[in-house]
Amino acid sequence: MAPITTTQSLAAIGLLVLIAYFSRAAGLLIMARIPVGPQARRFVDAMSSSVLIAVITPLVIEGDGGARLAAIVAGLVILCLRRPLLAIGMGMGSASLWRLWLA
Amino acid sequence: MLPLAGFTVVFGLAFGVAATNNGMAGWEAMLMSAFMFAAPSQFAALELWQSPLPLLAMATTTLAIHTRHILMSAALHPWLYTLPKRQRFAVIGLLTDSNWAMSLSAYQHGERNVGVLLGGGLALWAAWVIGTGMGLVWGEGIAEPRRYGLDVIMLCFLLVMVIGAGPRNSLYVPWLAAAVSAMLAYWYLPPYLHVMVGALTGGLVAVVQRPSSASGER
Repeated sequence: MAPITTTQSLAAIGLLVLIAYFSRAAGLLIMARIPVGPQARRFVDAMSSSVLIAVITPLVIEGDGGARLAAIVAGLVILCLRRPLLAIGMGMGSASLWRLWLA
Repeated sequence: MLPLAGFTVVFGLAFGVAATNNGMAGWEAMLMSAFMFAAPSQFAALELWQSPLPLLAMATTTLAIHTRHILMSAALHPWLYTLPKRQRFAVIGLLTDSNWAMSLSAYQHGERNVGVLLGGGLALWAAWVIGTGMGLVWGEGIAEPRRYGLDVIMLCFLLVMVIGAGPRNSLYVPWLAAAVSAMLAYWYLPPYLHVMVGALTGGLVAVVQRPSSASGER
């Protein structure tokens, strides 16, 4: 497939930068005048984490054994020990070991 | 603030390595870190970084991740509206989950100076950008990233972001719904739609969920 051109990537990054900035600014612009109910709050709260779940799930299900093991290990470490860097490090380590010995 | 900035350097490093690993050029990753300044959406964008770039999917994904910032900045409005307009809209660009939480608690304790938001934001921004640069340099030097598990950084990072945000029992059902619907959409719908499908399903399930099961909320 054709490589990503500079114009294309600049357009993409520009678009994402605008979205990221305007979400931060929008609260000061409009939302301060519109009351947000508990329903809307729940929707937004769940949506912002569900979107990440939706990105992750196919990576785990369609990934190799190393990726699956990494997800399980990192998930368990963050759940039980609440140490983000340890979770990421152990996830990487277990993927690397899986590929070294089992793949 | 200092330990948090230290964390952020390492997260930035992880982003730099993951960016190299996903075929993103160094300057592109740097532009993102400097101007988006948002770890979860930058990692999610990496996952979509393929030719041709799926602009619509990238935009909707980023929007879904960032909508919460609208609510967060709205909560800071009573504090920030005393500032001149230009300063107000400059400071808010540095808003992240962590300096927001700190600012809000400072405001509730009677603090009226926006230094926590500004100073904390600047420290985190510098840490994030420096970390990204280190990760880019380091990542380039590694010939076989898969062997060292570098390709799973993004996956592990997103997982840690989601689960590590705190004990939120009320979100397990929405997350399960998001995972199942995203997977079905991944298999049966046109490419890239699964992210939006999962996000909206998760949000809707959280709304219709019986409030009693949400009693474990923060």
